[in-house]
Amino acid sequence: MAPLHEEFVDAPVGKIQAFRGGSGAPLVYLHSAGGEAPGLAVLEDLAERFEVLAPIFPGFGESEGIEEIDDMDDAVFHLLDLWALFGLDRPCVLGSSLGGWMALELAVRYPERVARMVLVNPVGLYLADAPIAEMFGRSPAELAEMLFVDQEHPIAAAMHAMEEFTGDVGKSVQIPIELVLPMWKALGATARLGWDPYLHDPKLRRRLRRITAPTLVVAGAQDGLVPLQHAETLVAEIPDARLAVLEGAAHWLVLERPEELAVLTRDFLSS
Amino acid sequence: MRFFSFHLMPYIGLDPSYDGPAWVTCPNQLFDPVHGGALYNRYLDELLYAEELGFDGVCVNEHHQNAYGLMPSPNLMASIVARQSTRMKVAVVGNALPLYDPPTRVAEEFAMIDCISGGRLIAGMVVGGGPEYYSFSVNPAYARERFQEAHDLILKAWTTPGPFEWVSKHYRIRYVNPWPRPVQQPHPEIWIPGAGSVETMEFVARHRYAYMGIPYFSLDVFKRTFGMFRDACAAEGYEADPLQAGWLVPIYVAETDAQARREYEEHLWYFVKRLLPGITIQPPGYTSARSLANILKGAGTFMLNVTDWDEIVAGRYAIVGSPETVTEQLVEALGALGTGNLLGLFQLGSLPADLTRRNLELFAREVKPALEREFPAGAPVYRPTAAAA
Repeated sequence: MAPLHEEFVDAPVGKIQAFRGGSGAPLVYLHSAGGEAPGLAVLEDLAERFEVLAPIFPGFGESEGIEEIDDMDDAVFHLLDLWALFGLDRPCVLGSSLGGWMALELAVRYPERVARMVLVNPVGLYLADAPIAEMFGRSPAELAEMLFVDQEHPIAAAMHAMEEFTGDVGKSVQIPIELVLPMWKALGATARLGWDPYLHDPKLRRRLRRITAPTLVVAGAQDGLVPLQHAETLVAEIPDARLAVLEGAAHWLVLERPEELAVLTRDFLSS
Repeated sequence: MRFFSFHLMPYIGLDPSYDGPAWVTCPNQLFDPVHGGALYNRYLDELLYAEELGFDGVCVNEHHQNAYGLMPSPNLMASIVARQSTRMKVAVVGNALPLYDPPTRVAEEFAMIDCISGGRLIAGMVVGGGPEYYSFSVNPAYARERFQEAHDLILKAWTTPGPFEWVSKHYRIRYVNPWPRPVQQPHPEIWIPGAGSVETMEFVARHRYAYMGIPYFSLDVFKRTFGMFRDACAAEGYEADPLQAGWLVPIYVAETDAQARREYEEHLWYFVKRLLPGITIQPPGYTSARSLANILKGAGTFMLNVTDWDEIVAGRYAIVGSPETVTEQLVEALGALGTGNLLGLFQLGSLPADLTRRNLELFAREVKPALEREFPAGAPVYRPTAAAA
């Protein structure tokens, strides 16, 4: 395990918080709507073989500039800015959920800027017979049920402990603002990109054929948010793609199944 | 002191076996159209009765896809009242601007009501409740931006000769040129309802509009809210006029305190337990961090959390009792808040027609004159000693 260190860079949208560590070929991690990255075991594991870079998206953590980003177009241009700031030409990308969607949006527009991709339970598509479940307006406990298999996982347990904050301020008991604020900010930033259309881009599906990067889609068989058909559709329509289904895993498997994900990612990116 | 009769037009008779929220996902098969039609007509009669009883005006408001209030279009109700009344103000509190695209629709419809009423419209503009952002899929992260832009566009449409082109981030209209124009010049009086967002108070203070406190919190929360609003006006370099603030509160008057509670209590609990659940959902991005902090301060006192009658009385969630009790409590509360507009909800929850009418009559005959003596027009309303109590 190689630790990642926090740093800040001045991007055109504002100050960006990032975590960086390890050495080898560059691998960019794009986090989910949960804003995870600091201390993530899967990244420390991968840092043994890659130079891992985990920028925090504007509106999450301590990164600024969300007011400059209205949609996925803006998000993609922000990623290009980060590539320039970090001196990246054609890195590998590992994206989870919302971050997987961003990786897809980048790869359909600028296929030459992504070497290989691993997408973990990505959102981004709309499938009429397999819609993405509702994530907004849920209590943390309800979200934990959707995102984790193991409700005893420390993050899942913490979300259950926050049950009092439902997003319904009328039902709230007195809650310390510092507990609520990071989640509030993360959901607000996610809403800018994914409230309507809900967590998808209607044009993405017909653009998937433009992707040139070999792509591995990792799906949790028990994902309570994104049905398995999404991963299957991506694999069918991205020219060079394969699917890995993790049995007994749910949505936030970057947290819940770090060892297996690290192995899958390392093997795929090194092949 | 100006007196308004505010109607929510609630759905009475919600299926007792249904125990979910009254908002967003409350199944619309529970709405009986024939019963709903009877309710609309009854409620319009109650609004029009206010003019007969000498109220200064009536208020209607906008909510969508819920059992709490059956007015997805308050403008329809206001236009009927405008046509069938002759003297009183007709306040639409308000139109949820971000839900209108293009928002010139609001400029048009408000001008229609102002024309029909001969200049009696009060134009309310509101960001819209949290549930509406779920019901409309309008992005809550842009609610404030859209509200601001829509407001600017409507005001320009009313005050600048058309046609002109409008280009802002969320709205682009090549020819803004609404017919009709409002009777009141340069524009109707503007009210903005708010639930404690700091940004909203600053906006109202800056434009010298009137701030209406959204109800169902304890009196202490309103004391802080209206205090913050007075501060916001002071920060703009002027002292808030009492008519720049309005307090919306359920009121019920009967012959005695005991009779009032006996007649009213079950209807209030129908409101609290059946119609309020779901109203306070806050969609992501809808509230800024600093406003969230302020709103959370009051959240624990929201009426949904109240379960016994003594709390209702102590927190002044509703003013209920004999004419003497109601007068006394209102004098104290209005002095503490400094609000020159009293917006009474004289029908609440499942309160039936006969009790609603008698409530309006007793208030108009016994309470209103006493409050008018206590707070003469033009005199200050705010009493720091009451606020400190």
